[in-house]
Amino acid sequence: MSTVTLSVSNLRKMIKGKEIIKGLNFELQEGEVFGFLGPNGAGKTTTIRMLVGLIKPTSGSIEICGYDVKNDFTKAMQYMGCIVENPELYPFLSGYDNLLHFARMLPEVDEHRIAEVVSLVGMQARIHDRVKTYSLGMRQRLGIAQALLNRPKVLILDEPTNGLDPAGIREMRQFIRALAEQEGLSVLVSSHLLSEIQLLCDRVAIISKGEIIQVDMVANLLNKQEKIIWRIEPIQKGKEILRRYTEVVETDDGYLVTPYEEKQAAIWNRELITQGTQVLEMNRRLPALEDLFLELTGGGEGIG
Amino acid sequence: MIILRRNTVKIVTILSVILGVLWLSGFGWAIQDYYSGNSMGGIESKAAKPMQKKDKQELTIVALGDSLTRGTGDETGKGYVGLVTDDIKKRFKNRVTLHNLGINGQTSTELQKQVKQNEVQRQLASADTILITIGGNDLFQGGQTLMDFDPNSIGKIQAEFINNLTSILTDIRKANRNATIFYLGLYNPFIELENGSDTSKVVREWNDQSERVSAAFPKTVFVPTFDIFQLSVNDYLYTDNFHPNKQGYQLIAERVAPLIKWEEKQQ
Amino acid sequence: MANLIQNEMMKLLARKRIQVVGIIVAVLVLLFTYAQYKQVEEQREKLGTTDWRASLQQQIIDIQNRLGSSRMSDDWREQLQVSLKQQQYYLDHNINPTEPGAPSFVRMFVENSSDLFIPLLVMIIASDLVSSEHSLGSIKLLLTRPVKRWRILLSKYITLLLAISAIIAMVGVLAYLLSGIVFGYKGLNTPVITGFTVEGGNLDTSQVRLLAQWKFLLMDFGLVWFVAVVVGTLAFMLSVLIRSTAAGMGVTLAALISGAILSNMVSSWESAKYLFMVNLKLTNYLNGVAPPIEGMTLLSSMTVLFVWWAAALVVSFVVFTKQDVY
Repeated sequence: MSTVTLSVSNLRKMIKGKEIIKGLNFELQEGEVFGFLGPNGAGKTTTIRMLVGLIKPTSGSIEICGYDVKNDFTKAMQYMGCIVENPELYPFLSGYDNLLHFARMLPEVDEHRIAEVVSLVGMQARIHDRVKTYSLGMRQRLGIAQALLNRPKVLILDEPTNGLDPAGIREMRQFIRALAEQEGLSVLVSSHLLSEIQLLCDRVAIISKGEIIQVDMVANLLNKQEKIIWRIEPIQKGKEILRRYTEVVETDDGYLVTPYEEKQAAIWNRELITQGTQVLEMNRRLPALEDLFLELTGGGEGIG
Repeated sequence: MIILRRNTVKIVTILSVILGVLWLSGFGWAIQDYYSGNSMGGIESKAAKPMQKKDKQELTIVALGDSLTRGTGDETGKGYVGLVTDDIKKRFKNRVTLHNLGINGQTSTELQKQVKQNEVQRQLASADTILITIGGNDLFQGGQTLMDFDPNSIGKIQAEFINNLTSILTDIRKANRNATIFYLGLYNPFIELENGSDTSKVVREWNDQSERVSAAFPKTVFVPTFDIFQLSVNDYLYTDNFHPNKQGYQLIAERVAPLIKWEEKQQ
Repeated sequence: MANLIQNEMMKLLARKRIQVVGIIVAVLVLLFTYAQYKQVEEQREKLGTTDWRASLQQQIIDIQNRLGSSRMSDDWREQLQVSLKQQQYYLDHNINPTEPGAPSFVRMFVENSSDLFIPLLVMIIASDLVSSEHSLGSIKLLLTRPVKRWRILLSKYITLLLAISAIIAMVGVLAYLLSGIVFGYKGLNTPVITGFTVEGGNLDTSQVRLLAQWKFLLMDFGLVWFVAVVVGTLAFMLSVLIRSTAAGMGVTLAALISGAILSNMVSSWESAKYLFMVNLKLTNYLNGVAPPIEGMTLLSSMTVLFVWWAAALVVSFVVFTKQDVY
């Protein structure tokens, strides 16, 4: 965990006099899965399109493995693979011809490598069928095969699990983790779902209104924000007991909410019981993304 | 098959490149040829081989002249030439080929040039019957001559016409020795106007002279039309009061058609 | 670059565009062959002869009679007079302007399709070469490869040129083969007349010379190819500018059709000669047909087309390399 593969500094984009992206800075390390989290319209897609060279930044620089995307486009792109939104391949060509098509645009990618990526994504059986006959999951896999053709150091995936069924999502997740851990790829994944980021990523950048409001390890972020929701009889006594250890908020519908602290929760629970209250429910709850944002952007306590 | 043969793509590509080069050179050549093409200052005229008839029984009519030959004024578009042809087709069982070379407004000067053309001569050579109407445009000039009624100028026009007619008939005879020529005289479309008797006199004189000219040529028949329109001219004239109408043409055809004989062809 | 061109050719062939064009051409050729055949048949019936000279003479007489009519615009009269003189010239020199046979048919077909039909075929290919990548979304994959954008566009453009070359050839071959069934395949070496020039409504025959039919055909095809390239480049530019293929096609179609209409009525609007659409009938110059606007020459028409071509190419490349892709 040392080499920087993708570095973005002070990235800005103005569209029609309006600043859409307001100075982003972040770095990707080798072998890590980096999440790019934000609601729709936060600027995720615009940022990703700037990373892959589809949109030209107004200012700032993007370097992939030390090559500037703007000045050294072809070199930078050799180290990058990407799927922007859905993998839109040519439906009228077979999967194999699609791969051949993109392989021809890369230096030193031969048919041997094509066969390799095909088996990597497990597409051997249907690779000679036309893409228009593929399911979305298969297209997604073909898209990844295409992105891996040039043995990239950085893989950029925009909403990779969009539209997949639960099994497909799990498969995709495992696949991405394997790529990072076994092949040492840096993977940048964008998503608007916190749960997905949580399961997939090592680090996450939270983006809102064109700004990164926090970059942190996923574990840290979640720890900070996870809650326990209690239902205790009688509620007032429970509240008193818990207040001795941590901060407590009572909701309108008769629940108590405290922050989640892994080691403490058991102690609190035992105390409640010994003190003679009845713990009817005790739920650990992930915050909704909206809560996280409210909190991070300083929009109040954001509990509930 | 779904998989595109990679070789097909390659072959099509290479073929297209070759074709592209071919068209590009064609393009270059076109410009080069257009702007610096070495001309021989025109090319020689070549005479065509005489016309070949499919069968010897086939009859050929060549019609020369002005709007009357064309059939102007006949709403069916046939004119006397068409009617004559129809009649012949009915009477003889032979195939009939008609070359109608009539041009509206043609004068004798123009016809004299026309009969000198290679192709016209070639067609004349193949003819069994030749029909001519000419002179109307020389004399009437759309009605102007007879309105002004200047005997001097009419004399001049007539003299020129006679010259032209002689030349025309000579050329026709040169092209074809055997065909029968039917040369139709003029009628007076203005006979019922105020100076009708004067104009009629001029037309009669004109026809006299013309008939005399035609008489000098063998197998040349002068067909008068003056009498047809003499009495009730307005019944037989088109709304322009100049060209014959359908009935007028019918009368002319009825006069010409019976004269055409092809006994020699019937053998 | 060879790889990129192969890619584009692969996509073009996989989408069956060229094949569709081939079918359209075949159908049209059959239609025209039949029409031509009927026309010959009718003429034979009317004149009672198969002699081309007699029918040409009849055409001349017909034109002369039409010229006698007073209700006729001056332009039309001039055009008729020019073609009259030309036909008379053919007749005088005993050369059949419409020698029966497949080669003459090909010539007639190509010359008549150079300003509308062939550009339309080219448009089918050109107008979605770039915009289809946008509508499929594949542009995002295409432009994130380690290949400069101008190279990608150039490969597409070269593919367009190749496709145009193939289409022109297809028109020629199909027209020859299919019409030959009816008219016979002979006549590639028959002499045809070229070098007529029209100046001020007069036909100048001083430059006239004879040329083997196949040479004349090659020149015709060269000119038609150039016209197709120019129209193709314009459609290509629209394909870059307008994301929607249908809209791009609509614009091209409107321009082409307006050109066909304008050619018949612009004689008094002099600056119209700078529009590309009225300059598409280059083959007319070889045949000595009067241009739609007084003063137009082969060189001026080609210059106009060349300027449009260059401008379209510049715009295409600048926009394509600069634009942001969403």
